[in-house]
Amino acid sequence: MTAAAIPGRPERAAVRPVTWTRLAWVTWRQHRAALAGAGALLGVIAAYLAYMGWEIHRAYDSLNACLPASLRGPAMRQAGGPPAVTPACGALERAFMSFYGSGRGSVASSGINAQVVPFLLLAVPVLVGAFVGGPVLARELESGTFRFAWTQGAGRVRLAAARLVPLPVVLTAAAYGVSALLSWYIGPFVQAGVTGKYPMQLFGTMGTDFAAWTLFSFAVAAFAGVLLRRTVPAMAASLVVLTTADVVTMMALRQHYATPIVVTGNEPAGLGNLVVGNWFTTTSGVPVNQATVFSAVGRLPFGVTPSPALLAAHHYLQWWSYQPASRWWQFQLTEGGWLLAASLFLIAATVLLIRRRPA
Amino acid sequence: MDVIEAVGLGKRYGRKWGLRDCTLSVPAGCVTGLVGPNGSGKTTLLSLAVGMIRPTAGTVRVAGETAGSLAARDLTAFVAQDAPLYQNLPVRDMLRVARNLNVRWDHGRASSRLDGLGIPLKQRVGALSGGQKAQLALTIALARRPELLVLDEPLAALDPLARADFMKSVREAVAADRISAVFSTHVVAELEQVANYLIVLGHGEVLLSGPTAELTAAHGGESPEKVILSALRADSQSHTQGVR
Repeated sequence: MTAAAIPGRPERAAVRPVTWTRLAWVTWRQHRAALAGAGALLGVIAAYLAYMGWEIHRAYDSLNACLPASLRGPAMRQAGGPPAVTPACGALERAFMSFYGSGRGSVASSGINAQVVPFLLLAVPVLVGAFVGGPVLARELESGTFRFAWTQGAGRVRLAAARLVPLPVVLTAAAYGVSALLSWYIGPFVQAGVTGKYPMQLFGTMGTDFAAWTLFSFAVAAFAGVLLRRTVPAMAASLVVLTTADVVTMMALRQHYATPIVVTGNEPAGLGNLVVGNWFTTTSGVPVNQATVFSAVGRLPFGVTPSPALLAAHHYLQWWSYQPASRWWQFQLTEGGWLLAASLFLIAATVLLIRRRPA
Repeated sequence: MDVIEAVGLGKRYGRKWGLRDCTLSVPAGCVTGLVGPNGSGKTTLLSLAVGMIRPTAGTVRVAGETAGSLAARDLTAFVAQDAPLYQNLPVRDMLRVARNLNVRWDHGRASSRLDGLGIPLKQRVGALSGGQKAQLALTIALARRPELLVLDEPLAALDPLARADFMKSVREAVAADRISAVFSTHVVAELEQVANYLIVLGHGEVLLSGPTAELTAAHGGESPEKVILSALRADSQSHTQGVR
């Protein structure tokens, strides 16, 4: 046998890249199960928030209807919670507060109430990000199908981009929807002053923060997938990294987004304020430690801090540093900003690793 | 025109060269057998040709285009070792995925080939036999209407009957579509029935390359099998001595 020459082929047409809509279909086909899982989780949460939120709003409206005009809505907020003054409204007040886990009632006794739900939801961005983002590239690398996928006409960079852009956008949008629903659900308690307006404590599940953490979690997990090249280790590693990052941010980082306000006197316990720290000095400004102060002012019941007047009598001052509730949106934008920047960086790094990776 | 043109091509992994100073030109229209022991650089050479990895030295062009470029990807279809495909998808969706990953796609060709092979479209890829999976991978590669078909160890995982069927499919497809094919193998028996061009690699270097007929003629009409084995034996001895 000898090599036969091929008769001249027609001139090749200029090569066009595969369109994004076609690649989007591939992304959908390969990740619809993961998206359905994330959708089911978020859907159940949304259904719960919608139903309970409706009940809460109804209980709040009944309470308001019962109370005299002078005690309704904004007045409750001023007073720091619903009054239990009128005997006629006492039952309605207790019913309303049971949704917050105060007092008795099925919601309060279930342990899942408006006080707890926002904290439970803190885990959702991390879970959704790790379970959808972890396998996005790791599964392909682990199973060897990258040798199929990366040698198709579309090319590996375009293929990776077709996953690393639409998936986090969809997840982030869905997460934003859930956190908006949470804001509505908890609204009556905010209006009634039970919890502060935009409380620092609910920082992670309201505003833009919940959505931003979902985006960041996806990016971390996808990046881990390319580094580790295996699905389960990538998911496990990203769960650990993300939980750590989340806790460190909440406990140690967030309070430093702006210089705290420092005051002396009573604790700045205004609605939604975040107290960062407190310390004692003498009236001439020399720092003293707490034990010295406490032994000087005498024994106080557990958990009771000495009043400014009592301290002044012993020539001490108590100082407080805190982030006021008015900085809530500023902090949301700060945290959302660095999470967005970190996510974009990680996604770009993931694409770069795919591009450079020797197969 | 040459379907593969390598000039001084080399790939280094850390301090070790997987392929070194490889200069080749494979004419279009051939079925090329790429032969060599494990670790001789077969997969490295094929990966460079399909653009999976980039050369450390030299260049490689496929159908006149730089390997790995958009144009070259469009003209090259690759079936990697063990024919990796998405196991969880039904055959029909596997085809759709491949169709949406390529500009050139001949869907009629893919479905009529699968019809002929009796591979049902509803079947999950993971539930196909090894031979069917290899045929599906080949079908997808051919539906891309490539100018060059690259197969890495297509026979390694197949039983003897499936091997014969698979290579028959490749030969027929190459003839029908007037394309070129390169496949790597370490099975040297009966190679002359399949490959009309041979490349022999040893220790990351090209030991022999040329049309099968010319190679055998140059070695006094010996069978290709003997020609290959004597080249590999000589290479192995020279490396053993080099170590001493």
